[in-house]
Amino acid sequence: MNRSFFEALQKIYPDNRLLTRDVELLPYESDALTAFQTKPGAVALPVSEDEIIDTVRLCHRMKVPFVARGSGTSLSGGSLPIADGLMIGLNRLNHIKKIDPEQRIAVVEPGVVNLHITEAVRQYGLYYAPDPSSQSVCTIGGNIAFNSGGAHCLKYGMTSNHVLGMKVVLADGTVTQFGSESIEGVGIGPDLVGLFVGSEGLFGIALEITLRLMPAPQLYRTVMAAYDNLGRAGDTVSMVVASGLLPGAMEIMDRLAIKAAEASVGAGYPLDAEALLIVELEGEALQVEAEFAELRGVIEESGAFEIHEANSEDERARIWKGRKGAFSAVGRLSPDYIVQDGVVPRSRLGEALVKIGEFKAKYQLDVANVFHAGDGNLHPLILYNGREPGALEKAEALAGEILAMCVDLGGSITGEHGIGMEKREYLPTMFSPVELEIMQDLRRAIDPEEIANRGKMFPGGEAPALQMHGMHPLERQGVISRE
Amino acid sequence: MTGGMLNSVAELQAFVNDHERTHVVGRRSKTALHQVDPDTMLADMSGMRGITEYQPQEYTLTVRAGTRVSEIQAELRKEGQYLPFDPLLPNHASIGGTVACNLSGSRRHRYGGIRDFILGAQVVDGLGRAFRVGGKVVKNAAGFDLSKFLVGSMGKYAIMTDLTFKVFPDAPDYQGLRLQYETLDDALNAVFHCNRSAHELDVLDFAPCDRGWSLLAGLAGFQDTLPQRAKQFVATMRAESALLDATEAEDNASLRDPLGGLTDDFLAKVVISPRQIPSFDARVHEMQRRYSAGGNIAWLATHDIDALKKILEAEHLPGMVLRGAIDRPLIGKNIESPLAARVKRVLDPHNKLL
Repeated sequence: MNRSFFEALQKIYPDNRLLTRDVELLPYESDALTAFQTKPGAVALPVSEDEIIDTVRLCHRMKVPFVARGSGTSLSGGSLPIADGLMIGLNRLNHIKKIDPEQRIAVVEPGVVNLHITEAVRQYGLYYAPDPSSQSVCTIGGNIAFNSGGAHCLKYGMTSNHVLGMKVVLADGTVTQFGSESIEGVGIGPDLVGLFVGSEGLFGIALEITLRLMPAPQLYRTVMAAYDNLGRAGDTVSMVVASGLLPGAMEIMDRLAIKAAEASVGAGYPLDAEALLIVELEGEALQVEAEFAELRGVIEESGAFEIHEANSEDERARIWKGRKGAFSAVGRLSPDYIVQDGVVPRSRLGEALVKIGEFKAKYQLDVANVFHAGDGNLHPLILYNGREPGALEKAEALAGEILAMCVDLGGSITGEHGIGMEKREYLPTMFSPVELEIMQDLRRAIDPEEIANRGKMFPGGEAPALQMHGMHPLERQGVISRE
Repeated sequence: MTGGMLNSVAELQAFVNDHERTHVVGRRSKTALHQVDPDTMLADMSGMRGITEYQPQEYTLTVRAGTRVSEIQAELRKEGQYLPFDPLLPNHASIGGTVACNLSGSRRHRYGGIRDFILGAQVVDGLGRAFRVGGKVVKNAAGFDLSKFLVGSMGKYAIMTDLTFKVFPDAPDYQGLRLQYETLDDALNAVFHCNRSAHELDVLDFAPCDRGWSLLAGLAGFQDTLPQRAKQFVATMRAESALLDATEAEDNASLRDPLGGLTDDFLAKVVISPRQIPSFDARVHEMQRRYSAGGNIAWLATHDIDALKKILEAEHLPGMVLRGAIDRPLIGKNIESPLAARVKRVLDPHNKLL
C-alpha cells in the first residue's frame, strides 16, 4: 500500500482501528463466496460518518480503490477485497438512530444488522420486512448494495422497496441526500433511492438510511404439502396463483434438500417426498382464515400425498428453520458447493427443473434444489469436492449453464444475490452492448477513478484465481446460508 | 411549439435525433407540465398504445407507454388483477405519463407506489439510443436499476416507450368507511394508531369536511369477512381515537379518488410525512386539500399558486403542479441532486430532453 496514503489514513484512524497485520487482515480476505480470496492492503474501521467521508475523499484523491463491507455475507463475492486496496468495515456504525412507530419508519446506520431492526421495533407491533436468510448477521448497508431479498419478496418486495431515504457519500467524496420520511420516498423527481439500492457498492457508501416498517401480521397460516414429483409441486404454485390468493411465501425443496434439512433440524418434513411445498399466508386474522380455507381446497386438489398445517407458532418456526437451514444442511453432505440464484418466469419452473436434471446428468454432479417458488427464484446447490482436480471448474460450468437457461427462459441471472465477482462474465447475457456501455458510463460519471468496489459487476475486471475449498465458517455453524 | 405523433421506437429515435429540444407528452392529462418554449418539439406518445404482453399467472404486464390507464385496468380486471399502485387520473392519463410523474392514487397505501411495482422499461435516451432497463420477471437484481430511477423523472433523462409491471390479484370485495373527527390532531392520531395496528387498510386518507375532518378508510377482501372486519376496525378506532361517528361509504369509487372535490385552478402533489402535516396544514387551511396514503402525500387545489409556492419553500417540502398555467411545475424544496445530474450527463448530455 502506498506509503503516503497509509500515513494519511493514520491521521483519520487510531492504530486499533486501522488493521494492517496479516493476522488481522485474514478474516477480510473473502466473504460468503469463499471461492474468491484476496488480501486487502489495510482495513479501516470507522466509527462515524465523518470518518467514512474523509476516507472516501482520501481514496478518491489518491486513486486508491476501496470496498465497503458489512458482515461479509455476500454470496456473489460482492465484498471481496481489492488486492492492496482499502477495506472499509462498517460494522461499528451500528446504531438505530431513530424509530418512529407512528410513522412506521426507522433511521439507521449502515452497519446495523437486519434482524436487529425487527427486534427493536417488535414492541410497537412492527417489523422490517426483507428477510435474507443471513438476516441475523447481514447488515443494512450490504442489503442496500445488493438489494437483498428473502422468502417474502413476492408480496412486499426487496430491500429497495423498503428504503425511503438515504444520505450517501459518492465515490468521489460528494455527500448527498435523497428521499424523505414520507412513504413516497423521493416522490417528486427521479427515484434516486431506487438507483442507488442494488448498485453493488459501485456508486459509493450509504451513511444513513430511512427504512419503511410494516405492521406485524396478526396471523400466519402455514401449510406443507408433499409430492411424489417436483413438477406437481411446481404446478401447485401455478394453481395457487390462479386462485387469486397472494401468499406471503411459497417455497419448494427437492428430495435431497428435504433429507438434509430433516437430518439437520428435525423440522418434521416427510422423508419419502420428492418435493415439498411450503405456502404461508399472513395478515389480518379474519381475512387470513378465509384465504386459508381457499388455499386448503387448492392444495387438496393438487395431488399432494401428505398435507400438514402448522398448528402452533413453534411448529411454524420449525418448518421455517428447516427451510432456512436447508442450504447449510445440504452443504454438509459435500465438501463444497456452489449456489446460483437465477430467476425464471414462475410458469416455467417445471421446465427449468427438468433442464437442471439434464445438466446434473451431463456433468455427473449432484444438485439440490431449494427455491422461492412464488417469484421463480431458483437456488440450485451444486455439490462437488474442491480437492478433486477440475471439480470446481466442472461445477462452475454447470452453474453457467443454469444461468444461461434462466436468461433463455426469459428470466434473470440473479434474483437477490447480485452480480458481484461471481456472475460478471454472465452480465452480457442479460444486457446488450449498448446497455452495458450505458451502465459503465454511469458508473464512471459517478466514480471517475473507478475506485468503489473496483472489478465487480462488469465483465473483464481483475479477478483472483478461484481457490475454493470448504464452507464459510459461519455457514458451517448454520448462521448464514447461501440463498 | 409543434410536434409529431410517434408510433414506434424507431420514429421516436429519429425524432430525438432530428430535434434540438424534445418534450414528451402522453395524453396531456396534466396540463401544467407542458408549458414549454416555442422552440421545443413535442414528442406525442399517445399513438404508442396497447398491451404487448400480459401473463396473469406470472403477475407481469408489459404495456406501451401511450396506453390509457383505464384500458389497462379493464384488461387486468378480466383476470381479477390490478395495478396496486393505483394510478391517478385513470380515464385520462397514459401509463407512461403516470410513471414519469409518479402519480399513485389512494390505494397505494396497501402495497406501495409505482416504484414498488415497476420491473423494467424500454427507453430512448437523449442520444437517441433505444435500450432496456430492468427486467421482465418479478424478481431481478442484475445491473443498475434505472427503471426505478425513471419513476418521477418527467421524461428528462430518457423517454419510456414500454413498461413492465408487477400486478397483483385484486380482492373480490370492498368496504369503504368514513370516520368523523373534530380536529386534524384527532384525525392524525387516528392515522398513527392505524399505522401501529394489524388492520390491513387498502386506503387511509383524510380531508377537512363541514363537521371537522373525515378519515377515509378502505378494506379489501372476501365478502363474508368484510362486515366483521369493518366492525372490528371501527370498534378499535372508537376505543383508541377520538372518533365521533363512523359510516359506511356510499360510493367506494369516490372514496378512493383523492382528487374528488379539488376543483380550484391549480392542482399540486406534495410529498410530506404525517408529522409535517400540522405545521403545513395551518398554512394551507384555506386551500382545498386531501392527505393521502396515511398522510404521506398531500393533494392541494388553489387559485393562488404563488402562496402555495411560498408555503412549500418555508416548509421545505417538494411539490409538483399538475394543473394550471405555470412556467415551472416543480415548486417548493429544490430537488436537484448531484447524482441525478450525473445520470443526465450520461443519458442526455446535450440536454435535449426537457
